[in-house]
Parts: sequence; C-alpha cells; structure tokens
Amino acid sequence: MKLNSKIPEGKLEEKWRNYQANSHLINPTNKKKLNVIVVGSGLAGAGAAATLAELGYDVQCFCYQDSARRAHSVAAQGGINAAKNYQHDGDSVWRMFYDTLKGGDFRSREANTYRLAELSAPLIDHFVQQGVPFAREYGGVLVNRSFGGVQVQRTFYARGQTGQQLLMAAYSQLYKMIRAKKVDMLPRHEMLDLVVINGKAKGIIVRDLTDGTIKRYAADAVVLATGGYSRVFRLSTLAIGCNGSAIWKAHKRGAYFAAPSFTQIHPTALPQSSDAQSKLTLMSESLRNDGRIWVPTKKDDARKANEIPEDERDYYLERRYPAFGNLAPRDIASRAAKERIDAGHGVGPLKNGVYLDFKNAIDRLGLDTIEDRYGNLFKMYRKITGINAYEKPMLISPAAHFSMGGLWVDYELMTTIPGLYAIGECNYSDHGANRLGANSLLQASIDGYFILPNTINNYLQTELAEERPNVDHPEFERVEDDVKEHIAKMMAINGSRTVDDFHRALGKVMWQECAMSRNRAGLEKAIIQIKNIKKEFWSEVKVTGSEAELNPELEKALRLADFIELAILMCVDALQREESAGAHFREEYQTKDGEALRNDADFMYVSAWEYNTGNFKLHKEELKFEYVEPTVRSYK
Amino acid sequence: MKVTCKIWRQESADSKGNFKSYETDGLTEDMSFLEALDHLNEILVLKNERVVAFEYDCREGICGQCGVFINGRAHGPHDHVTTCQLHMRSFKDGDTIVIEPWRANAFPILKDLMVDRSAFDRIIEQGGFITAKTGTAPEANAILISKEVSDKSMDAAACIGCGACVATCKNASAALFTSAKINHLNSLPQGRPEAHKRVLEMTQQMQLEGFGSCTYTGACEVECPAEISISNIAEMNARYLKAKLLS
Amino acid sequence: MSMFFRKSVVATTGLFLCIFLIVHLSANSLLLLPESIARSLYNSYSTTLRESTLINVVGYILYLSIILHVVYAAIITYKNRKTRSVSYAVNHKSENSSWASQNMGFLGVLVLVFIVVHMANFWARIKLGIGESVGLDTDGYVDVYQVTYDLFHNVYYVLFYSILMIPLGFHLFHGLKSAFKSLGFYHKKGLRILAKISLVYAAVMAIGFGIIPLIVYFK
Repeated sequence: MKLNSKIPEGKLEEKWRNYQANSHLINPTNKKKLNVIVVGSGLAGAGAAATLAELGYDVQCFCYQDSARRAHSVAAQGGINAAKNYQHDGDSVWRMFYDTLKGGDFRSREANTYRLAELSAPLIDHFVQQGVPFAREYGGVLVNRSFGGVQVQRTFYARGQTGQQLLMAAYSQLYKMIRAKKVDMLPRHEMLDLVVINGKAKGIIVRDLTDGTIKRYAADAVVLATGGYSRVFRLSTLAIGCNGSAIWKAHKRGAYFAAPSFTQIHPTALPQSSDAQSKLTLMSESLRNDGRIWVPTKKDDARKANEIPEDERDYYLERRYPAFGNLAPRDIASRAAKERIDAGHGVGPLKNGVYLDFKNAIDRLGLDTIEDRYGNLFKMYRKITGINAYEKPMLISPAAHFSMGGLWVDYELMTTIPGLYAIGECNYSDHGANRLGANSLLQASIDGYFILPNTINNYLQTELAEERPNVDHPEFERVEDDVKEHIAKMMAINGSRTVDDFHRALGKVMWQECAMSRNRAGLEKAIIQIKNIKKEFWSEVKVTGSEAELNPELEKALRLADFIELAILMCVDALQREESAGAHFREEYQTKDGEALRNDADFMYVSAWEYNTGNFKLHKEELKFEYVEPTVRSYK
Repeated sequence: MKVTCKIWRQESADSKGNFKSYETDGLTEDMSFLEALDHLNEILVLKNERVVAFEYDCREGICGQCGVFINGRAHGPHDHVTTCQLHMRSFKDGDTIVIEPWRANAFPILKDLMVDRSAFDRIIEQGGFITAKTGTAPEANAILISKEVSDKSMDAAACIGCGACVATCKNASAALFTSAKINHLNSLPQGRPEAHKRVLEMTQQMQLEGFGSCTYTGACEVECPAEISISNIAEMNARYLKAKLLS
Repeated sequence: MSMFFRKSVVATTGLFLCIFLIVHLSANSLLLLPESIARSLYNSYSTTLRESTLINVVGYILYLSIILHVVYAAIITYKNRKTRSVSYAVNHKSENSSWASQNMGFLGVLVLVFIVVHMANFWARIKLGIGESVGLDTDGYVDVYQVTYDLFHNVYYVLFYSILMIPLGFHLFHGLKSAFKSLGFYHKKGLRILAKISLVYAAVMAIGFGIIPLIVYFK
C-alpha cells in the first residue's frame, strides 16, 4: 500500500484553512446516527470525546484507570507552548513551527508541524475559557516562561501541574458531555483488540477489568488515544499502567507503525536507586530555566557537592552549547549527561546522576522567586529523596520519557486502516525525531480538540450509507475468540517466573541497546535477546488467579507480551535507520565532536512498518521540505 | 529489611474480607511502599497465590489513583503525601504494617485494597465544569484575572481526587473534594455564570452518594496530598448559603 | 432537608448558646462577691430577668435553641455514623485531628446531661415551682442565691458541676470555630484568629463555670 499523507494543497499558512473549507460536513441529524469509540481519556482522548459529543456524535470512551482523570497527561509538569507572542520577544507561528521542526531534526511533515504551531494560540484561549488557572502577572495577564530548545518565552503553565490542570479541564468537559448523555464512559475497561471489517475499523474487544468479562463494542470509527509506550524500558517517567497494547494490536491488524525507535530520554529525572524500582520520577524540565547542570571535573570525585570549588565544576551544557546552555533540547542534554556519567564523572551513591544546582539562581533572584516558580517540585524532590534542594543541588539523571514514534497517521490523523484514528502521543505526527518540551500537552490537546473533530467527518460521511456497525458480525466473534485464546494460553503456562521479572529483563536490554545511543552490533544482539525473552515468556511466565476476575497480574502480563513484540520492532527500526537524528543516536554516525550526524540523502523519510506475521515490512513516506531548508541542528 | 504486612483481603465486592499476615523479606529502605507491595506480590505469585490487588498508576503523587490506609493513617504516617510517595525508610525492620482499603460506604470495595471511587466522578458530572464548547473561547488575555485570584483558584484546583479526605474523615465526608472543585471554578470569572447552579447541584450529588457531613475535624487537610485547605469547605458553605438565598 | 440546613441550624443555635453562656457566666461571677452584696445583687438580677418580657422571649428562644441544637446534632451524628459500615481496624485519629473534634457527640451528651440536671435543680424549682419551694430574701426577692449556695455546698453536686465543665470546654472549643465555618466564614487568616479566640473563649467558660462552685464551696 502506498502511503498517502493527504497534505492539502496551497501555501503552508493556508493548508489547514483549505482543508477545512473543502472537507465534507455532516448535518446534525445524521451525526446522531454515527458513533465513535475513543480509547483513552487523557488530554487527547477526553478532548476528542468531549468535542465529538458536542458536535453531536454518539461517543463511547474507554480507559483502563478507575477514572478518566488519572490518565498520564496528568503528570506533565512544565507547561504548554503557544505562539501568542505575549512577551513581545519576536515569537510567531512561523518561529514556533521552525523550532518544532528543527527540534525534531527535520523528520516530521512541514504541514503537520505548521498546523501545530498555528492552532497553539487558540488552544490557550480554549483552556482559559474552561477554567485552567494558568500563572498570571499581578496585572492579570498570562505569564510565560522559556523551555528547552527555544530562545523565546512561549510556555504557559499552572505551577508545576500544568498537565494536571489541562487534564482536569478536559476531564470536566468529558463529564459535561456524560451528563448530557452524549458520552458513555467506561473506566476500568482495557482494549485488547481491534475489529476490522472489510478493511475498515468497526469496533474493539475490551476486557472489563473489574470482573474479567470480554466485551464487544462496535462503532463507525475508532479513535486510539492511548499514549506513549516508553514503559517498554520498564523504568520510565510514565505511569505503571501506560502501555502500547492498543496500538500494537492495531498494528497487528494492519495499521503501520511509524518510527518506533524514536523515543525520547528525558534529561531531568531522579536517578535509579535499586533494581526493585518501578518508576523514575520526572523533575520538570522547567527547572533547567534557572538550574545549572554540572559534574565535578575530577573523575570519581567523592566530595560533597558543596565542597567542590567553582573551578572544579564542569557546567558541561554551558561549555558545549554556549547559545542554549542548560536549555539545550532534551535529547542533547540527555546524551551529554550520559557521556559525562559514562566517562566517570557521575555523582550520587550509584554514580549515575549529575547535579542540577539552584545556588546561583537563589543568589540572583532570591529564595521567594525560586519557591514561587518551583516550590512544588522542590517539595516533591524532598518527599522522594529526603533532600532539601534549596540547600543542596538536586541529583538528576536521564530517563525514558516520550515516544515520538507511534501509529503512522496522515494529515487527517487517520492510520492506514480506514476508520482508525490515532491521536496524541500514540501517533507519529508532529515531533519528528525529538519532541520539544511543552509540546506534548500541546499536540495531545490539538489533536483531540481541534484536528480530529474536523477531519473525522470526511471519513464518517462515507459511512452514513453503510450498514450500521453490529457486534453480532462474525468478525467480532472471530476477534473475540482470538482474545480469549490469547488469554487462555497465557493463563495456562503456569511457569516459574513473574511478569515483573520478564519486564526487568526486557527493560535492561532496551535501556542498554536501544535508548540514548545505539549501534549495529548492540541492536542485532538486542533483537536476539528479546526474541529469547519472548520465547521464555511464553513458556515460563506465571500468572496466578483466574482470567474471570479482577486480576492485576494478568493485566500486566498482557501488556508485557505486547511490549516484548514492540521492542523487537523498535530495535529493527533503530537498526535500519543508519543515521543519527534527534533522539535516535547511532554511534556509527556522529561528527568528530560527538554530535549527531544526520543523513538527509538516504533517510529523509518516515519509516512506516507493516506487520506481517512476525516480520516487518518497511514503507517510506518521503519528507519534502518546501518552506524550510533542513540544516544541521546546532545549539552551539 | 523485613516487615510483616497485615493486609485486608477480600475477593470481591460482595464477599466477606479478613486480614492476612505476610512476612515480607528482602526489602530495602529506598523502596517505595508500593514497590514493597510489588515485591510481596512477586513472592505470592511464586508461591502460587493470588496477588494483592491495590491501586496505583503514576507513582509520582499526581494521578490520585493509589491510596490505602496504612497503620491507621490515610496514605501512611506522613502528612500531605500519597501512598506512592511513602518510602520504606519510614518503617523499621521488624515492623508490622496494617494495610486497609479506604473505608466508606460511598467507596465500595472492589477487591482487597481497591475501592470504587466513581462517586467522585458523579459529583464532577453535576457541574464540576464550565459549560463552554470547543471553539467558543475569547482571546485568553481578554479576561484579566489577578494573580491573587488565579493563585487561590489554583490552590483549590490542585486536588488529585485520591479520596484520602473521605477515607480519613470520621463522617466519610467528601466536603473537601467537592469544595475544592467548586472553589476552583467559582472563584474564576469564567466559572461565575453558573456558579450558583454548580454549588447547588454538586453538593446535592455529594449528599446523594452517601457521604457524610463535615464536622471540621481537620483530618482531611492533614492527609490531603495536595494540601487543600479546610477553609475551602467553609467557602463552599458560604457559596451554598448565598446560592440558596439568591435562587 | 440538606446537610447544609442541618449544619446551619446547629451552628446558629450553637452561637446563640455561646452568647448566652457569656451572660450566664457574668451572673455567676456575682457569686464571688462577699455574701452580703452577692445575695441581693444575684437575687435582684434574677428577678429582673424573670420579670422582663424581652428576656422571657429570649428565654423561649434559648429553650428552642437547645432543643434544635440537640435534635439536629443528633440527626447529623446519626447520619454520619451510617456512612461507614466497617470501621478501620487501626485508626490513629489523634495524629491528624484534635480529640474534641472527633468526639463532639460524646461531649455534647455529657453537656446535655449536665444541662438536664442543672435545669432540674434551678429552672424546675424556681421557674416551674416543682419540688421544694424557694424562700424570699430580706428584700423580698426569690432567694435564688440560697438555692445556689446550698447546691454549691453539696460536694457531689460541686464535683458533678465542675467536672462536667471540662467536656463543655472542649465542646465549645471545637464548636465555636466550627459554627463560623458552617455559616460560611472562610477567610484563611480570620480562621486562624478564630481558632485562637475559640480556645480562649472555651478556656474562660470552662474554667469560669468550673471554678466558681469550688470557690463558693471552699469559701
């Protein structure tokens, strides 16, 4: 199948307007007849479900958590970017578009990225209207701060809880529509498979997590908004329940998976302290606004941070990237940290961290200002580590954080399966090979609120004439049987190792070979290792309890089974892309001074993988840059 | 380190539960409390037993999904933390830790330590939103909101919906939760047009769900991980009385 | 009937009773004066009160307040008890809240017991004329002072009276500040000041009411 990105005609600034002017509309009485399934209730999912319901569609929304409000959008701390130019510092839609494109190392579509920047300003209006208490000046206007990879101040924030506040807005709008009986909300329901009838997405099979019942749901279109898959590394900044199962199942049913190896490692998480650790807590990147990152110049320096004199501190980001300094983009900051740690300059009990120091900022701005800006983050740091960061520098280290990769989608956010959409982090759309800070909340919201509700009509109007989707269709029965068989097979193994044990093994391989830097030999080895893990998983895993009850262990096992398969594809993709771009750093392709070496001649495309019973076939979507000249991404 | 976990086990909503003790060895002080439970569950799996069902998701104190009663306190011995932010360094080697689910009739037990908090969602459903369709918003800076008002609204909006307030309250009152949402929205100019309707409908739902009434013990604000102040409840009362008088 | 209505009734009546206690205590403090002055002042004061129409109306409001306060508090307590069928095996309430706030119902019952006994001893005799009749003093006033004096020289009664002023103090301490919250006073700094006022008020009332019988007894 040839990939059609469906980029509209016209100049870059006019594409979205042209699209809207020419797309099909559906009259309100007909909308009522159409129903849409939304899987996931984060910013993208809840935003889409609420907006589609407002437009008149009949919506069913699913999430695995106990409430829509738990979705992991809640954890985003720093903020949301918008080209409002409130600071009068030369910002514009164009500049934001360019920053995002450059931040992603020119591996995303110009048209998508431009649309992201273009819709950012109205999105802030939207959230203010819905009651998000963004930070404000005394005069009452909105405040901005700067963020990594950018030289203007365009980030809007609500203390260190921006994601929470935006999600609460989306969740509340979702419940507004639930009250209006336009959305049927099904928490504690996990999608286990996609039903494709005559090549079109027509429904899903879900497991009711409270009692294990397998249920069928039919719809005219299915929207996946299931978030990122960085839990493939096991240790990540994601919620423990975050998983890649819905998109993986969709992939196996025919949706192409784009750039799976593009996963971002966040530079400012708390270092791992033991093997039993289940999660790495993120400290917002916004801390890099005022914090300075350093390591001792001396290797294995055993002195305490405060005892190390100024001239024996290496502010390596400021040294290597004088123009951006501590605000260098995430991939660069993470890699630079890894480089220093690997070179023996790491600090902390396990020598796996670097310092993030606020002493200068406190001297310059005063304790009150720092407390006002980051108070809750400092508090959180203290809760977890027991350390007061106003007095001692924080210890941070890189952690798996965001997946730029995801289901391949066209300009309309539709996957390669007609009627199946992917929005938010689970798609591959705007971020290219690396996402800029505070662009994640933005993309999730814009996909859900503004884009999907405008593009889904185009498909749904063709479905009006079709037969109503029906769960009695034999295909539903077939897929449901597949799901039941899959579960039964897993329950029957009764081996000798726990699910977590396998997850740790998988995470170790992935973190070692497919994280911040990658190489051919390592990836080839990783693929073999993961295949072995898979084989062993299916013969040795042990899940207790039964499938017909609330069974958290089974939930974990089902998710891990999919992660293992996804991990293989990630390595395959990383191996195939013989260049360094954004977060994807292949050691064989670097400049003399250790910077990423992109290969535009051979790899200026999005890799979209087709699943073919255990094998993966590559399709290429060539990227054309008509408005921007891809340059070497320098933050020096 | 080794501790004895005395955990409430209950098969399902309708079945009878009871405490079971588990000697749990091989823990370290750096482990979070939930990681210790993970560890216990791995031991149980290998012993061919059902795992202990407990809630969690983000494990960084913001999603609000985790929450159990630990040694007589909601979210454990410290003030203002979630269960996932509690670490084993808060316990001593050899301790017995009693772990119970949130107990409130409005939060029926699903299994073991998991409860159903959908009553909170239904309270939000009755007005915990601003009625504004996507696409109808005016320019963001067209509405000026002073820093004081915005900060106050944010203080209330910080609620994570974990239910510790209900769990710790002797009356299983949801007043702190409900008031936080009402004050978040009603103090903002955007939320004012439906302010009276909101406070009346949300509080009505709060009562229908079977939560008790607030008697100001103040336990909720001590346990609240988001440090929502009990003054929110008083403010809700003021808003309620005003709405009642004016409508 | 909403919980807000019930709470408002308890709060309003409670506050009214708090004001009443101030008046009551100031009358009681007359007992601390030398007997010669105290008797006539006390008796004339109580007679004035009994004969004033306004005070009689206030009196009826007072009875009604006590009844409403008790009835609604009982309803609230009953309803609140029904919100948790299974209680915690371990519950360290003392770590997050004051003992008084956790035991308002119990404290209230003790105070009620006191009020019943107290009214049987004074109000029933003086106002309703039940039991032994009360004599007149030299000025021709009903000798309430003598009634009080006799009672305050009964060791059991003094102990009963003084000890039950302790739960009254706790009840007032939590009740006063809570009443303001129920009625919607939410100013944060104001609430902090109010908490201190409640403490002082409760202490003055409990110590004041509690110590007078002891002083009279030992005088």
